[in-house]
Amino acid sequence: MKKSLGILIAFLLVVLTACGNDSTSSKNNSEEKKNDGPEVNLYTARHYDVDDQLYKEFEEKTGIKVNVIKGEADELLERIKREGDATEADLFLTSDAGRLFRAKDAGVLQAVSSETLDEQIPEKFQDTDQMWYGLTKRARVIVYNKETVKEEDLSTYEALAEPEWKGKVLVRSSENVYNQSLLASLIEINGEDEAKKWAANLVKNFARDPEGGDKDQAKAIAAGIGDVAIMNTYYLGQMLNSEEQEEVKVAEGLGIFFPNQDTTGTHVNVSGAGVVKYAKNKDNAIKLLEFLSSEKAQGTFAEANYEYPVNAAVEPTELLASWGDFKEQDIPLSSLGEHNAASILMFNEVGWK
Amino acid sequence: MQRRLANVNTWTITATIIMILLVLPNLTILTGFVTEPNDNWRHMKEYVLNSYVTTSILLIILTSIFTIFIGVSLAWMIAQYDFPFRNFFKWALILPLSIPPFIGAYTYHGIVNYTGIIQTTLRDQFGLQLNPSYFDIMNIPGAVFIYTLFLYPYVYTITRVFLSQQAASLVESARVLGKNSFQIFWSVVLPVSRASIIGGASLVVLEVLNDYGVVKYFGIQTFTTGIFQTWFGLGDLDTSIKLAAYLMGFVVLVLFIEKLLRGKRQYSYSTTKIRPLPVVKLKGMKAIFASLYGWTIFGFAFAIPLVQLIDWTILTFGSIPQSVFFLAVKNSVLVATISATMVITFALVLGNFSRMVKGKLVTLFPKLSIIGYSIPGAVIAVGVVTTFIFIDQQLVPVYRFVGFSTTLVLSVSLMMLIAAYVIRFFAIGFNSIESGFEKIGTDFRDASRLLGANYTKTFLKIDLPMLKGAIISGFLLVFIDILKEIPLTLILRPFNFDTLSTKAFQYASDEKIMEASQASLLIIGISALAIIIFHKFLEKE
Repeated sequence: MKKSLGILIAFLLVVLTACGNDSTSSKNNSEEKKNDGPEVNLYTARHYDVDDQLYKEFEEKTGIKVNVIKGEADELLERIKREGDATEADLFLTSDAGRLFRAKDAGVLQAVSSETLDEQIPEKFQDTDQMWYGLTKRARVIVYNKETVKEEDLSTYEALAEPEWKGKVLVRSSENVYNQSLLASLIEINGEDEAKKWAANLVKNFARDPEGGDKDQAKAIAAGIGDVAIMNTYYLGQMLNSEEQEEVKVAEGLGIFFPNQDTTGTHVNVSGAGVVKYAKNKDNAIKLLEFLSSEKAQGTFAEANYEYPVNAAVEPTELLASWGDFKEQDIPLSSLGEHNAASILMFNEVGWK
Repeated sequence: MQRRLANVNTWTITATIIMILLVLPNLTILTGFVTEPNDNWRHMKEYVLNSYVTTSILLIILTSIFTIFIGVSLAWMIAQYDFPFRNFFKWALILPLSIPPFIGAYTYHGIVNYTGIIQTTLRDQFGLQLNPSYFDIMNIPGAVFIYTLFLYPYVYTITRVFLSQQAASLVESARVLGKNSFQIFWSVVLPVSRASIIGGASLVVLEVLNDYGVVKYFGIQTFTTGIFQTWFGLGDLDTSIKLAAYLMGFVVLVLFIEKLLRGKRQYSYSTTKIRPLPVVKLKGMKAIFASLYGWTIFGFAFAIPLVQLIDWTILTFGSIPQSVFFLAVKNSVLVATISATMVITFALVLGNFSRMVKGKLVTLFPKLSIIGYSIPGAVIAVGVVTTFIFIDQQLVPVYRFVGFSTTLVLSVSLMMLIAAYVIRFFAIGFNSIESGFEKIGTDFRDASRLLGANYTKTFLKIDLPMLKGAIISGFLLVFIDILKEIPLTLILRPFNFDTLSTKAFQYASDEKIMEASQASLLIIGISALAIIIFHKFLEKE
């Protein structure tokens, strides 16, 4: 018995010493952060590997160390809220304008102005009060089965709710912020009543109950469950470049259609970042924003996820260029946030799971 | 007399402090209970609450039935019989616990979906295009399938430890009386192991109620998805807390049912020697069937997902930076070890305390801490953040004195994450320790006390050695759970701190399951290693 307890303690000791050198460093994580050099603390909901490389480049270029906490947008925002004026966060980066609006609405961002940012990021992709700046752009489009659907059959988001599409429409659950923002944009453009009718009629056209992510909608077209799906452009990009040949095959069988070209334009959204209200390193946060929207970084930052760069000086990748130019919705991005709650309630009311 | 009082007091004070620490952060959440219902709440009640309730109940009931069936049948088979590969199955059947359910869900979906191996093979090799709905697991039955595969080890582990250590004399008596094995199972094994079975099943139920990853991905609406939706989407903390209150009512009900099912009867050691149950050797078809059953469960719950994950890891190996993994492994093992040790220590103190004090009210005390296991992790996380920031603000003068420039010290350190783990997983450790204490009973302790040893000495000399099995299995369960944990780790980690589960999650949430496979494999590898080490250690006894 004594011996076995000894073994147990020995095991724990081994584990602890194995981590020992690290435990000091993680205890020193906050100390390590308190290195005397300049630094910037980033809370980000984007977690592509390429981001880390860009932060390293920024560090090499400016000597400013980038400390990162990666998480889910909503939870990170909640954490910043709770930390109040004591927060360590300098910059908050997330996808979806709806979420950026939530952050602004919660009063955790501050307005910053910089000539460089204005040069690099079109006004359209900036918050009206300069509280956040868009960094990448994506469109929520219709993809369709090239074999069963002709491109001329497609026209608008609104038309997908017509009876002729009964049992053919695929889309993920309403829990997802991309759908919330899409509905919010239709509320902004067509008004609440029309938007609600659209959502209710679209539900009647669902090929199946919403399930899975955006890629799963594309696969369901290949499987013959439905004919058209609503999804974000970059997921198609990911599939076309997948390590899994079958995914590539599925994506190649799909047509991509930018809806509402003759009417109100295709729904676009951004990922972006805002400087935290109580940032301790405001200047460094602005520098990081300027770096991420610079011509040099934009290519990598957007390309990593097959997104469109917001910096107009940067050419989109070959794949995106092949999809062609398109007309975008002409509404302030903040409206996506303003109608976010309304869209959630609306989804519940019309039974969009 | 004086000395005994002092003794009880030390235990009382320690236990009370631990209790407060465990429950305090949740109180910040509970303050919202008394708010007036608002429009959002009425909206929820009108449109979605019913479906939350029915879906959640359905998931719980079905998963309980299946996990109990599989867990108990395997535990009994391995405790009672000898057949080919029995020694391997003993520990291998715990392994599925090392696969986080959300990774299991992504993996299985990856296997059966249109571009997965099954449909692809059927299409390309046999020219078969079957109805895709046959392969659709993104629904309630599919979720039950996933939960059952990756959670049954809770029931299996707890029940098997009990059966192999406890049931010997009872089963032997029954054998002597000429009962066949089926009769023994029904009339002896099930009744005596009821507490372990229900204990394991209630852990499964809490796990299911708490799950966010699987239901979110599958598009199933449950309480948890509703809580997140109202809190973050509608920005309405009050309503989301009301939903959490409903959920807690659920959990209290589950625990109440558990108490009811456990019943009044206690079976404790009848002799000081724990004798393992002599096993019956199976022959012929029976032996083959037993092996097959084991292999089937092991295959579905571990081998198949593992092979798929290995396949994906090979596919994507070149495209993922490798440097981060070494650190992530260290971080994961570090926080899991420290936190699990703390959980078990606290559980021992509280478990012993509630035995010392004969009183209904006090024994409910530790039960309160189970609340931490019933609230969604993200909600707890926010409670913990709030608490730690409050503590930090109180300590500012001290920080100034020491010469820190910032006001946040604790809340940007690893301490906060570890505290949250302890609060979250205390229930698991305590469940294990408590059933250990129940098995010991109080006779030996009373004897030791009569012989003049004080409570603390008795605890160290008598109880602790007898509790060893419970301590080890409790530690193991908590350790593995922390390795897999997602919401707390995401929200509460310090800067530049990655763990394996956060790595796996960040890829999976971007719909990049293939890239998530390497981190998942490492989680599985470490858990498997821990299971094997501890298993060998237990076998030695």
